Amino acid sequence: MSQVSATRRLGLPTLAALFALLVAAFVNIRLFGGSLNDLIERVANTADSASILFVNLLVGLSVGLFVWQLSWSALRVVLTVIVALLFGFLFTMSFNLDAANQYIQGAFEVRVLSEAAPPEGDADLAYGEEKGGEFNKPGVRNPLREAEYTFLGSANDVVSVLAYAANRRSTVNLEVSLRDAQGAELASANSVSEAQLARFGDVLRFRNPNDAVIEDFTLPADGLYTVHVRPEPLTTPIILAESFSATRFAYETFLLGALGRVNRWAVWIQDATTLIFVGLAIAIVFRARQFSLGAEGQLYFGALISGVLALNLGTFSPWLVIPVAILSAMTAGFLWGLLPGMLKAYLGANELVSTLMLNTVAIRFYELILTFELKPPTAGYIASAPFPANGQLPPLVAETQVSIAIFMAMAAVLLVWLLIERTPLGYEIRMVGSNAKFAAYGGVNTRRTIMLAMAVSGIVAGLAGAHLSMGIHRMLIINISLGLAFEGVVVALLARNNPLVIPFTALLYAYLRAGAQFMERDANVSFEIVRIIQAIIILLITAEALAAFFQVQRAAKRSAVSPSTDAPQKEAGAHV
Amino acid sequence: MFENVVQGIFSATFLAAILRVATPILLPSLAALISDKAGVIHIGLEGTMLAAAFTGVALSAYAQQWFGPETGRMVGPWLGLVGGVAIGVLMALLLGFLHLRLKADLILAGIALNILGSAGTVAIMFELTGDRGSTSRLASLTMPFITLPTFIRDIPLIGGFIYDVFNNQSVMTWIAFIAVFVVWFMLYRTPFGLHLRATGENMAAAQSVGIRAIRTRYYALMLSGALAAMGGIHMSMGYLNMFQRDMTAGRGFIALATPLLGGGNPYGTAAASLMFGFFDAFAIRIGTLQIPSQVPQMIPYVATVMALVIYALQTRQTQRFRALRATGVGSARTWRTLQSLSVLHVLLAMFAVIGVILSVGLFAAPNGFGGLAVAYPWGAVISLASLMLIGVNWPFIARLERILEQPILSAAVTISSLTIYLALFLLLFFSPIAALLGGLALSLLLWAALGGLGLIVGEKLKLHVST
Repeated sequence: MSQVSATRRLGLPTLAALFALLVAAFVNIRLFGGSLNDLIERVANTADSASILFVNLLVGLSVGLFVWQLSWSALRVVLTVIVALLFGFLFTMSFNLDAANQYIQGAFEVRVLSEAAPPEGDADLAYGEEKGGEFNKPGVRNPLREAEYTFLGSANDVVSVLAYAANRRSTVNLEVSLRDAQGAELASANSVSEAQLARFGDVLRFRNPNDAVIEDFTLPADGLYTVHVRPEPLTTPIILAESFSATRFAYETFLLGALGRVNRWAVWIQDATTLIFVGLAIAIVFRARQFSLGAEGQLYFGALISGVLALNLGTFSPWLVIPVAILSAMTAGFLWGLLPGMLKAYLGANELVSTLMLNTVAIRFYELILTFELKPPTAGYIASAPFPANGQLPPLVAETQVSIAIFMAMAAVLLVWLLIERTPLGYEIRMVGSNAKFAAYGGVNTRRTIMLAMAVSGIVAGLAGAHLSMGIHRMLIINISLGLAFEGVVVALLARNNPLVIPFTALLYAYLRAGAQFMERDANVSFEIVRIIQAIIILLITAEALAAFFQVQRAAKRSAVSPSTDAPQKEAGAHV
Repeated sequence: MFENVVQGIFSATFLAAILRVATPILLPSLAALISDKAGVIHIGLEGTMLAAAFTGVALSAYAQQWFGPETGRMVGPWLGLVGGVAIGVLMALLLGFLHLRLKADLILAGIALNILGSAGTVAIMFELTGDRGSTSRLASLTMPFITLPTFIRDIPLIGGFIYDVFNNQSVMTWIAFIAVFVVWFMLYRTPFGLHLRATGENMAAAQSVGIRAIRTRYYALMLSGALAAMGGIHMSMGYLNMFQRDMTAGRGFIALATPLLGGGNPYGTAAASLMFGFFDAFAIRIGTLQIPSQVPQMIPYVATVMALVIYALQTRQTQRFRALRATGVGSARTWRTLQSLSVLHVLLAMFAVIGVILSVGLFAAPNGFGGLAVAYPWGAVISLASLMLIGVNWPFIARLERILEQPILSAAVTISSLTIYLALFLLLFFSPIAALLGGLALSLLLWAALGGLGLIVGEKLKLHVST
């Protein structure tokens, strides 16, 4: 029996360590390249590669913590994220339904070639001449959908009709037909072969496979002929296939883009650092079952205070400036969290409404100071001067915003874990969170606990503000955070409000956020997809009876097959 | 400058503006009220409003393409309204399904709906217009504005005023104020309303007498979604004529607070919404003064927090008052005076919060208010005065009995605080001395009207308060 428990005890940590190593290795390989030689060479050539490897080790460590802390629940978290990503894929695909439109729009030209001498007369085209236009030009009221050009031909003239994209950017897929004067179709084509591309190479100089060529057609009689050209009509399979492939391309950037280059990797890591702070802040209040979203406002005050100090104490040593600025940011966050905490604890004011209102007040106050006090008079846009070097968090990796804030985040994770799991206040927070009435009955001062939970959460949110101002932007800008409190909600919920798991969920969510930025840039898919995915994750995680719901559905189906259980079920249904 | 603002505030156009800006708070407030009464508070109002606002704009713009410009312009707004309300109902159904069937946390699911509404609208807008900020590129329509018959203007004395206030209001504003009555009728005069309230009071008890509580909650959520959606439609097709990213700016959350302030009934909720409308319109109006725009923009949000505090304090005072009354002996009139005076003390202290915030702004950003030399003295005066006002009123809020024990002190505090506020207000019209005297006279009148004199010279209440 002791053997079994020993394997149990060791099994999970071993698995966790394995995952940690795997993920760390994967990140490093994606970042530095394929084969071992490549990897060693690139590591040697990259600046501060030791720091990068260290940070990636931390990434692995957080994965290990996630597996170790959540064990089977980890699987549910991963499944939830995958399902949400699939939903996101469907959304993106529906947005990409117009991806196939590229084949029906674009500039084109038509040319009729013949060795024969052109007959005299009035027509749109003569042999060797070209005419063209642009199909389905976007933003035009009556776009060109098809075009017709006439030419005069003699009997037994051998003509070739070429319809082709007029420039390199045009991807229009053409279909061309030759008609006689009565409008009867004589020949048509919607494609071009390699041989034709070679033969008419000087006309089809863009070698577009979507061009169309009618080759060597012998005209039956003298008279007026018409060249009818239009884009090939789209069919549902084409639309779906194009939309799918465009979405696949977008999702490739989304899911792997963050590991492309060191600067993209840095975007991921710095965003994850912010999200760790915000996620911790939200986790503390959620542990006390307070739906406070005040992290946003606390963050603004943290950023403001630390920014003002960084700007004004720039002549002092960074050993003084940075700790003072960070401590002030923490204090500001504490105080701005204390206010709704007091309102909730002693007056019963709904914390969701009050924190959201106080967030807006904090943001307006920040803008007030920024616009009238901190903006240099010469600046054309609303932002403070860049912080002096002594007021910036020292970077770990050169030319990126990955800074010593990573150590602050590690310390914050540990301290919040200690606070919640190992201190009397943490115990009271957990008691109030699981059952406030019972906690009060057991002698917990619930008012004080609620107030302190919201205020302590503000400390961590203030840190996030300090990181945003001194670590990332290194100046104060307007909209320094756009709804980070809501991102904190998804990070905390995915981690089940467990501080040790938050680094992983923050990294995971920051990975999606960074990927979404690159997806918007590279594939023109809106960044908001990631917020839709965020909403779906929250919905899936909070729907506690989701698994049970599907089981019930299956059970209902199974019971529907057997007639014996049918009748009592109906009866039971009538009571509900 | 000041004169313009003041004249603006006392004009019919300002009242019309209040109605216009109160509409997108009133409709979601009624939504919050209904869902709250049914015990399933709809936190996703903000997201619902955004989704409906966007749907309305998009449908009204595309209606012109689908039906041609002539018919499109006729049916477009109504198509938008129907589509927006349908989206609102669908989102409410989703919330209901998640909460009632899948046991999701109501508040978290509501937060998720808000994110969905905010993100989904921006994403689809980006797809349709290539713009992430607003739909200014879509030729969207607005709901019709109702022109009053001109004979109303011919009514003597008040006709012109009424005409100016109510003429040319969006049909959504009319719907909103009619909805107040409809909601009241539904809640208090129909069996469904009874079931709804019973379900909210105690679901198990309601079920035990045969009310289909789950179904009732679904209906309540759907109604609430529809009302919030109409508020959203007003935002994008009446208040403005386009959709802007996150244009509701927290109105869906403010709406969660108004029913509390309105005492949990539709008429009170309407009054509270009008109050927020006043703050909103006031913020827009003083935006024309040369003070930083951020300060007036804070007003509606500060007012919401203050409203929560006032509501909480008042609830506490009422409980305290009942406890006192149970122990004491005295005439009903004296008790009524005590209650009114206690409420007055709360309000007098809360108004000073605005002064505190203004002085913080003056101290923190003196450049915004005409430089150090102007801002700091003013900031010092305003902050001292505000803190003093809070300080002198606080003892009477903290211990209700003090009003009885020290009636003269209470009277002094009440009258002087009121005089300060009223004089500041009258200063806008009259010379300082006249304003001060007028304020004093009005304060005395109000204090006497509340029966303050009775507490000083009249019978002394006997309280048996156990320590």
